[in-house]
Amino acid sequence: MTLDNLNTVAAELEKQELQAQGGVSSPLLYTKLLAIYLYQNDLCNAKFLWKRIPSSVKAGHPELELVWSVGRAMWKRDAPAVFTALNGTQWSENVGPIMRSLVGKVRERGLRLVAQAYSSLSIDTCSSLLGLSPSEVVEFANQQGWGVDDNKMMISPVRPPPPITHITSSEDQLHKLTDFVAFLEN
Amino acid sequence: MINSLAGNYRDLCDLLIKSTELLEKNGQHLDTVLETLDLQQHSLGMLAVLSIKLSLPPPSPNSNQPQVSDYQEIVFTQVQEFIMGCNAEQIRYAPETFAELCDMLTRQLIEAKSPLRGIELLCCAIRKLQLSDSELTLVHANLCLLCLLAKCFKPALQFLDIDITSIPPQDGFPFDVKHFLIYYYFGGMVYTAVKKYDRALYMFEAVISTPAMAVSHIMLEAYKKYILVSLVLHGKVSHMPKYTSQVVTRFIKPLSLAYHDLATVYATNNTEEVRLAVTKYSDTFTRDGNIGLTKQVVASLYKKNIQRLTKTFLTLSLSDVASRVQLSSPAEAERYILNMIDEGEIFATINQKDGMVVFHDDPEKYNSPGMLCKLEEEMTICTDLDRQIQRMEEEIMVNPQYVKKACGAQDDDLTTGQTSKISTYSM
Repeated sequence: MTLDNLNTVAAELEKQELQAQGGVSSPLLYTKLLAIYLYQNDLCNAKFLWKRIPSSVKAGHPELELVWSVGRAMWKRDAPAVFTALNGTQWSENVGPIMRSLVGKVRERGLRLVAQAYSSLSIDTCSSLLGLSPSEVVEFANQQGWGVDDNKMMISPVRPPPPITHITSSEDQLHKLTDFVAFLEN
Repeated sequence: MINSLAGNYRDLCDLLIKSTELLEKNGQHLDTVLETLDLQQHSLGMLAVLSIKLSLPPPSPNSNQPQVSDYQEIVFTQVQEFIMGCNAEQIRYAPETFAELCDMLTRQLIEAKSPLRGIELLCCAIRKLQLSDSELTLVHANLCLLCLLAKCFKPALQFLDIDITSIPPQDGFPFDVKHFLIYYYFGGMVYTAVKKYDRALYMFEAVISTPAMAVSHIMLEAYKKYILVSLVLHGKVSHMPKYTSQVVTRFIKPLSLAYHDLATVYATNNTEEVRLAVTKYSDTFTRDGNIGLTKQVVASLYKKNIQRLTKTFLTLSLSDVASRVQLSSPAEAERYILNMIDEGEIFATINQKDGMVVFHDDPEKYNSPGMLCKLEEEMTICTDLDRQIQRMEEEIMVNPQYVKKACGAQDDDLTTGQTSKISTYSM
């Protein structure tokens, strides 16, 4: 399974869930779908999926609870807990690839947030937001070209340049403009 | 009798309605009748028989009949096969009976505590009834209800995301407003659950601004949620649209005092008092099932207060933020601000070294290609809407009833010969 087609996989799983005999699906399906929702950062759907899983299934399949513990931490925006829950578990083959790449995904989001929200922050805060050890943070900051002060206490991130949006072709623009004028004239 | 399928579905419908009593009396033979009918060819006949079967109580289990739960399982499979395989063209002649069947199925599933099982079935049922994507059917509300109970919202959202533009009449009778109100009410609840508050507000607004001669309970409940969602989203109660019926504005307020008090307290921006108000009315809020939303209201006030600070200050220390917004510590203030930056609700940078926060203006300069794209999209929506309204107006202009009314009585004899059945009720 590759991570590119997760959307299709999710849609397929959702469909299977709705078609399940007696309304209860297999624990493997629930776990995987939950993991995918987390990967998509679709916390609302993840929360409601967790709520609708029958408690008998939850009891019989401890990994579900572990996946949701990541989700719960994400819901509470508790970054350290997210990383502890993600890294502290040996994931099964069913969700392993998703959960391992989720670490990178969460870190990427954390990184964007740090760069956007802080002009300076302590290495401790940074390491808890990114789930890296303090020494890794310093190394990482140097890589990114962020300033690290002399006694290695504070980091000053650089704001990222605004993302470059795609530019539509002028032909397309002209077409839209024609439509618009035609509408106003009539 | 039922096999009299010469292609005239309208007559068949009338016949089926007349034979309801006969079918009810012969409850035990219904399965035999079903077996003789072909799913594709005799959809209308099967529909009539099935809906009678569902409306009859399950046979007593002491005979050699199967247990009640088994019986319901068998019925469910029968209905499932029918909805999946029936002929859409035929059932559109009896949308009311079809919707009734769906309604009975919904209630049965709720009783059996397995709402999830009906979701896909009802999606299929809606698609069969619809002639276009934006048409409201009697089954829509049932689907939303099942989704709410199953806590599974994606299937409902695919329908809710399409704005309704037409409501077909049912067998010549106007569409019952109850279904309309309930669909929008449930829809609002679905959007609230997935935190799409703007859409939720729109849905609740649709409920309370529906023309009315009296206040219905659905409207009252929608109004309560409208106030709460409006506070969460805008920090104040949005004005109801001008076209809201007089009765609503006059009678609904005294019936939702707790909510109005909360809104009044909210307007003072004092978090402590809002908390007190929520505690004071917690019984009412719990009874109305709105307690979760009121918690969101309290949380939103902190955010709103931080947003207000950005209007006054350029830089502020975190401890000042904490004391002004009545948060317990600078660390908590930092967490709030961090989350708000993440959500794009404020523009600011935190400086941990000095414990300061710098507020920025919105970096959007409205000069980017992205913004142009957005503008174009919005314009397309507006032009589409205008075209839609024009089309509806044209439809009304050629409506015999309208023409009769508009031209007065002088050309009465022109229209008397015509049937004045309105082809489509549009909104």
